[in-house]
Amino acid sequence: MTIQVKVPTVGESISEVTIANWTKKDGDVVQMDEVIAELESDKATFELTAPKTGVLRIKKQQGETVPIGELICEIEESAGSAVPASKTESKVAPGAAPAAAPKATGAVKEMKVPAVGESITEVTISTWLKKDGDFVKLDDIIAEVESDKATFELPAEANGILRIVAQKKQTLPIGGLICKIEVMDGVPATSPAASTSAPAITAAASTDKSYAAGHPSPAAAKTLDEKDVAASQVSGTGVGGRITKEDAVKAQAGSPVKPEAAKATVPSGPPVIAGGGGRNKRAEKMTSLRKTIARRLVSVKNETAMLTTFNEVDMKPVMELRSKYKDKFKEKYGVGLGFMSFFTKAVCIALKEWPAVNAQLNGDEIIYHDYCDVSIAVSTPRGLVVPVIRNAESLTFDQVENEVIRLATKGRDGKLSIDEMQGGTFSITNGGVFGSMLSTPILNPPQSAILGMHNIVERAVVKDGQVVVRPIMYLALSYDHRIVDGRESVSFLVRVKELLEDPGRLILGV
Amino acid sequence: MQYNVTVIGSGPGGYVAAIRCAQLGFKTTIIEKYDTLGGTCLNVGCIPSKAMLDSSEHFHNAAHTFKEHGIDISAPKANLGQMIRRKGDVVKQTCDGIAFLMKKNKIDVHTGMGSFVDKNTIKVTGKDGKEKTITTEKVIIATGSKPTPLPFAQFDKKRIISSTEALELNEIPKHLIVIGGGVIGMELGSVYARIGSKVTVVEFLDSLIPTMDGTMGKELLKISKKLGMEVYLGHMVTSLENKGKEVALKAEDKSGKTLELKADYCLVSIGRRPYADGLGLDKVGIETVKGQIPVDDHLKTKVDNIYAIGDVVRGAMLAHKAEEEGVMVAEQLAGQKPHINYLLIPGVVYTWPEVASVGYTEEQLKQAGRAYKVGNFPYKALGRARASMDTDGLVKILADKNTDEILGAHIIGARAADMIAAGVTAMEFRASAEDVSRMSHAHPTYMEAFKEACLAATANRPIHL
Repeated sequence: MTIQVKVPTVGESISEVTIANWTKKDGDVVQMDEVIAELESDKATFELTAPKTGVLRIKKQQGETVPIGELICEIEESAGSAVPASKTESKVAPGAAPAAAPKATGAVKEMKVPAVGESITEVTISTWLKKDGDFVKLDDIIAEVESDKATFELPAEANGILRIVAQKKQTLPIGGLICKIEVMDGVPATSPAASTSAPAITAAASTDKSYAAGHPSPAAAKTLDEKDVAASQVSGTGVGGRITKEDAVKAQAGSPVKPEAAKATVPSGPPVIAGGGGRNKRAEKMTSLRKTIARRLVSVKNETAMLTTFNEVDMKPVMELRSKYKDKFKEKYGVGLGFMSFFTKAVCIALKEWPAVNAQLNGDEIIYHDYCDVSIAVSTPRGLVVPVIRNAESLTFDQVENEVIRLATKGRDGKLSIDEMQGGTFSITNGGVFGSMLSTPILNPPQSAILGMHNIVERAVVKDGQVVVRPIMYLALSYDHRIVDGRESVSFLVRVKELLEDPGRLILGV
Repeated sequence: MQYNVTVIGSGPGGYVAAIRCAQLGFKTTIIEKYDTLGGTCLNVGCIPSKAMLDSSEHFHNAAHTFKEHGIDISAPKANLGQMIRRKGDVVKQTCDGIAFLMKKNKIDVHTGMGSFVDKNTIKVTGKDGKEKTITTEKVIIATGSKPTPLPFAQFDKKRIISSTEALELNEIPKHLIVIGGGVIGMELGSVYARIGSKVTVVEFLDSLIPTMDGTMGKELLKISKKLGMEVYLGHMVTSLENKGKEVALKAEDKSGKTLELKADYCLVSIGRRPYADGLGLDKVGIETVKGQIPVDDHLKTKVDNIYAIGDVVRGAMLAHKAEEEGVMVAEQLAGQKPHINYLLIPGVVYTWPEVASVGYTEEQLKQAGRAYKVGNFPYKALGRARASMDTDGLVKILADKNTDEILGAHIIGARAADMIAAGVTAMEFRASAEDVSRMSHAHPTYMEAFKEACLAATANRPIHL
């Protein structure tokens, strides 16, 4: 008998779930109440358990989004499990035994995704630094793992042979099995020669790019041809970069636009041919980071009352001060005097005076901060990250500059820790470095305001009745009107302008 | 009667194509001119010859190796009549199996000679002369091949015989001449050699099984001579006559020296020719080239809805090649895009021991100027082979000198035909010789020779040599 397993109702307002992970494979024998999959709604991740003992037949694949109530898998009750419960239980033991056997020896260390921070529910394996079958030593970094907040390194939890379970790009929930380490017998020091020499040969055998890289297996070749995907467009995950059947199937799933595009272009064939240019499309899976950025930005737009106020700053005084002292500053502190320190210090003073701008909503309460943790937006190859300069109000100019450089470098290298990115009270983003004249930045939740810096352009301005040329930067302050009033936001920005146009006030705080 | 697909010929190409078509949801029919399904392979080819080979091998063992094994029996006698009856039973069971598969897959079987009326209409003429007409969207021609006769001596089916008659002889020949030292000649020649015939092989080329790797031919020559067969290489047969109670053969070697032989039977196994007689190809405008039906890479003939597969088209005349082509055409008709890697269709000779190969031969690599390595491992050095007294033969692995990719696998020895599948798998995945060397092979097995040959090819480091 076959039991149909449907997506359970998991809460009001949740209409669909995504299959985050099948913890059991198609064809596996599953026990009643055993976790077979992890489902992800827009609110939470939860586990799907088997309603019966039997053979699992997966109907919806990992990554698919399935509406509540729809068939997700079937469980074929095996002949044995149709008999009374007592017998079923006796069957459980042999069924479970093979799986448990390696654990029972105590010689296999299962490495699971560690809890890396609150609010992080899943991570993606970005790179394996060690190969399956490699010998790894305790605390060797074996993989890089990416969450939506940060990339972190995964050290080996034992000495032994690495058995990779989760492949590169695979997303795992916290606690999900990443790999196993077949713990080497005895003290590692006694057998390092034997244990390291063997893997060394293995590594030599499968180094770098194999001549067979990109070679599709027979089934993969057929699938790719049918999907009209060239083997060269697929990166093979098989030994030596071979394209496995799974790679081919995924290549199809990853580029759903292709068949449609092909169909669409067939009737209008001639004009396309006449055009001559390539019309390739490319579909890539979003990284966790990108997904989070996308989700958050939309939610900010939806959940806050955001608007932007503008002003302009005559940068001449700051620039003069800077050119006058930049050499001495560099000499004394070993760091260049940039604009960031001026802006950060100006913002800190203004924030003290207009605390609502430095506050945030928490349910029915408004949390005010007596300190200024200023988030600075850093663009990295992986996307935007916003590390935090802690207690910026108490830092000196050189300390701010040093901190900016340290955080930006770490950001670009993907080495920022989650701690370094959490808890900012206000943000500064500088679109000017890319040449932006004016923009309306999006809030960095749960913060209530963000200052947008822009490029400095010489503009004709009127001073004391005279048209003069001045280096001008437009400033933008986006803020959450739910807690920041117009008077506060505008006054804040005017204050920043005043402080920058007369840097002496920065020292005096007037 | 209206069909999506009509298959003409029920050999391994045809019946497999029909089953695959039915699996893919086509309303399918198959036309066979003989009373039993299965074509040459099942009726007068692969299956019956293997039945005879195994019977003769058992006899040979009883007569020669039992004693050594410690089994004392009085001198065994070969009962050819019983061997042929048993062979007949095997054939019947296998053919019945195909009939069952047709029924199971709801494929209509029409017995009779199929011929085109036009590209969508096929006339089936039964033995009794009754005619039926079938209309069909697609046609798959799988009419196979027939033994090629010598131009100067047709088969009389009494003394000058083809493989078909060789499987049905009433007596054990005292002396059997085999013209052609290819696959069929060596298989059937060895059958009769083992049950007591004097067998003389006359081959035009300088090697036995000349399409295979040279080492295989050499080894087979050694083994055949050990079996008592007489082999004349490089001899061209100039005349062959049925003299009533015996046949007389004349042949010449390259220097013009004449060889005269007399025997009671002569098996002519100089090859097979594609067979499309009576198919009415002219009605659809298809012309054969050297007997073959020309097809494109998708096995399509010049007529849009007509395909051809197996022995009747280009390529090796092998049942499993025809099967792959049958599947390929069926899947294409369903809009899929299957592949066949013709290089990796294995070739097998069912002598005892067997010969099997896949990929390039050493001669081909030499000719192509490829840098390659060779790894050989003899059965003699194999524990399993010694235990069962099957120590003849070797495994030869050819690998790319630079990348170590396996380019060819050639086996002569016990169970070679089964072992070659490992070579096909490795090569389909473009495995290197070291890849195979690093895979665990069960001990003691014949397959260990395959691994050892890969070790030898990798870096000349076999363990047991």
